[in-house]
Order: sequence, then structure tokens, then C-alpha cells
Amino acid sequence: MDPQGEVTTLLAAWGKGDPSALNKLMPLVFAELYRIARRVWNQHQQNNTLQPTALINEAYLKLAHAESASFQDRCHFFAVACTAMRQILVNHAKSRLTDKRGGGRANVSLDEVQQAVDQEAAEIVALHEALEALQTVDPRKSKVVEMRYFGGLSVEETAEALGVSIGTVNRDWRLARSWLIRQMNRESL
Amino acid sequence: MNPDTPWEQIERLYHEALELSVHERKAMLARASSAVREEVESLLDADSGSGLLSTPPIHLAADLLNGQPGGLAPGHPVADYEVESLIGFGGMGEVYLARDTAGKPVALKILRRHLIANAQAVDRFETEARAASALRHPNIVTVYEFGESDAGLFIAMEWLDGSTFRAIMNAGEVEIAHAIDWASQAARALSAAHAAGILHRDIKPENIMLCKDGVVKILDFGLARHGRPVGPEPSSMGSSGTISGSLSGTLLYMSPEILRGEPATSASDVFSLGAFLYELFCGKHPFAAETPLDVLEAIECRPVIPAGSMRAGVPLEADRVILQMLDREPDSRPAAKEVWEVLGQQRTGWL
Repeated sequence: MDPQGEVTTLLAAWGKGDPSALNKLMPLVFAELYRIARRVWNQHQQNNTLQPTALINEAYLKLAHAESASFQDRCHFFAVACTAMRQILVNHAKSRLTDKRGGGRANVSLDEVQQAVDQEAAEIVALHEALEALQTVDPRKSKVVEMRYFGGLSVEETAEALGVSIGTVNRDWRLARSWLIRQMNRESL
Repeated sequence: MNPDTPWEQIERLYHEALELSVHERKAMLARASSAVREEVESLLDADSGSGLLSTPPIHLAADLLNGQPGGLAPGHPVADYEVESLIGFGGMGEVYLARDTAGKPVALKILRRHLIANAQAVDRFETEARAASALRHPNIVTVYEFGESDAGLFIAMEWLDGSTFRAIMNAGEVEIAHAIDWASQAARALSAAHAAGILHRDIKPENIMLCKDGVVKILDFGLARHGRPVGPEPSSMGSSGTISGSLSGTLLYMSPEILRGEPATSASDVFSLGAFLYELFCGKHPFAAETPLDVLEAIECRPVIPAGSMRAGVPLEADRVILQMLDREPDSRPAAKEVWEVLGQQRTGWL
């Protein structure tokens, strides 16, 4: 089966409640997002104009038969893609934090950019863990944060993908943010 | 109507409370059970005062897509060198420990391939190679070779085993006798660069290393530019060179004239070195402040408290020369050579 057909079939299966479809879908989406992001990045290396939403849209056009896929399939795809984006970033943050080498022995000054990256990496790992805890309390709020923060979706796109109102997304976001800050403060004590 | 679960109650009360004044909140929450009230209150407390989720993780995303993870594999040849391991990376490239044909260790700095399209990056890389290779001095990192290989542009330089002064100062207070010795070596290096007509333009503790044998080395001439030994550079360099250069440097070590956008001179290097020496002697930065804006203001107009008033035992002469180096008027600052002479005498007197 061609990859497009495969993705469409998997999306439909997952939409019907087959959890194993998600496991097959994720690596395809993951690889495609990474490939597109790399290309976009090489074109825009001078400015930080990486738009996760644009990547997800492009991956969707590439991977799914966009014209024949249902609206629901598209929503599911966005949900999967945002989870994939989260995984990509968290994996990178973790490997960055564990591979720290050099221990002051290097002939190189780790400049401010690198410090900013390390700081973000540590924050993202902590955020990821806090989100896992929120997932057990209120899965939808955890999904809202994943879509908006890791997937870069707007409030409107998030509402559409989750099938809820814009007001709900805004309220979920506000409470989730407070909840996560509190959780992260507790963890760091 | 079904009664709310505790979580639903917390959620409802949280959103209601956001609409109320602090006083009204208290009254409303008084009606809830104590467990629910505590939850809502702690969530409301967390609501303010954190930047969490306010900006997307762009730095991390950029880093992810920027680097070839792991970079060059051990054994990879770069010209006549063989890569051994990755030891660090900065905004511009990666640094490897490598061996030359005789097996001697070298530090290999490689400019990442995709940045080669960026003319400014190449220019800066070449500037570093040329400036540093023009200098042969025991207190300046020695550049062996500059060239291009299939891995990218590379600079092969002396392998240094030691720590940057940022790491040393982070580790705790420095003994006065050591501070004098190290400060004098750093001033000697800067004096040699200035004598050769080269400005460093990014003097800061991250760019100065202490080797295990006690020798201080200045590195990273990436912002250096051949200029006149004294006096301003041609104005054509002012807008592109100086401004981008000053933005790449660290705010805390920038002289007032650089912050005003004026061209760098040897006196600006002396100011930056002065800020570092102050910190080395007394453990405090002369212009430390809460926000970047406060730092700017401190550099521009906050009186400097002499290092000797911050810590007992700082020799009077060192205290005085550091204060002169931090003079807001570039013409009133001593030359690097004078700083070296003053500190050199102190060092002899001390040992």
C-alpha cells in the first residue's frame, strides 16, 4: 500500500477506536514531520520562523489523501501530529541533557544561545512530566496544552480538532497552565 | 442535577474566582469545603508570576534541526587530522578533540556546513583564524591551520586542558595571590594583541581559560578585527561590524561607548577586561543588576564600588588600576600594557 493510503486507513481505524492503529501511525508522522522541519529550517536558517502548524499541515497533505479524508480524519491527524511534535522535542531535550559533555574542559565558550537551549530543554522535560500527571486528572486539558504548546496550533485550530468551543479551550488553557506551574514548583522542591 | 465531582467543583470555582476581587474570592471560597478551597487557592496563586508556556520552545527546536546529532564520528578525517571526540558546540560550530599525524592532540573547530551559505558566519570564522594566527603569544591560543575540508571550514588550534574563568568563578572565591597572577597574564595577552593591532572585542570570562599548568589563555577571536592599534576604526565598519559584534558579546562586559554604538577601540577591550578582573578579585560583577535594562543603566551611570571595599585583601594598586579600567571615559583608561605592568609588579611583590 502506498504511504498515503496507509495513513488514511490507519487514521480511519484509529477513529473507529483501534488503538494499535496509533502505534503504526506515529512513526510515519514522526518521520515526515522531522523531514519537513529539517528542510524548512534549512531554508530559513537565518530567522526562527519555524511554524509547527505549517509543518503539520504540510505533513497532512503529504501523508493523507486530503481530498478524500473526512473532517474527522483530519482532526485525528492533528492530534497525532501534535503528540509526535511533543515526542520529538522531549526526546531531543532529554538527549541534550544527558549528553552534556566537556565539563569545562572544552576550548569553546558555550555561549548564551547554548545556555538558552539547555534551559529550555530542562523546562520541557519538567513540563512533559507535569503534563503526564495532568493527563491522569483531566486528559482534555493535557491535550489542549500539547496541541497549543508543542503543536503550535491556535486556539481556533485546537477547538476545531478537539470538537469543543473556543471558550472551553481558553478556560482549559488557563487552568492547565496554573495546574502545571503548581505541579512543577512542587516537583522542584 | 448531578453533583459536581471535586475536580469539576475546583474548575468551576477557579474560573469564577478569576472574575472576582481578592475580597470577593475569600467570601465565595469560604462556602466550599476546605480541601476544595485549598486546591483553588493554590491554583490561583500559581496563576501569576510565571512565564511558563508563554513562548514556544524555539531555541530547542532550532538546536534540534541545526545540529547533525553527534556531529562527526570518531576517526573521521578532517584534512590531516583525525577526529577523536566532540567536546563542545557553540552557536557557530562544533569543537572536536582531534589528533594530528604525529598523534598530538589538537582542538578542531568546525563551522557547520549549512552556515557556510551565511557570509557573515564565514567572515567571522575567517577573522578568528586570521587574527589568532597572526598572534604568537604564550597567553593566546595558538592557531595551527585554517582550511576547508569535506566536513566544512575548520580551524586547528592548540589543545588546552583547563577550565574557563566562568567555571572557575562559579566554583567559588579565588585566592588573591592567584587573582593577581591570572589577571596579570590576561592583561599581558591583551597588551600583545593590541601591540599587533588586533582588537578582541568580546573579552569575557567565558573566553579566557586557565590551563592545568597555571597558564592563562585568551581564546575566541571570533569578533576580533584588524583595526588601528589606537583610535576608532573606519566608520564603514561601524554600522555592520560593531553593532552585530556588540550584540553577539555579553552585555555585562560591554563598555559604555560600545553600548552607544560607537566603534570599538583598544580602550573598549580594556573596559571589558576590567569588568572581568573586578569579578575575579571580589567575586561580584561591577554592573550586576536584575534585568538587561538595569545592566545598561549600571554600565552607563552607576558608580563602581572599589573591589577593595567589596573584599578585604585586594591590593591597593590592583584596586586602583581596575577602577581606572572601568572609567566611563575611554581616554582615561590605562592601556593594557600599563595594566600588565602594574599587576606584574604586584605579582612579584606578592610571590
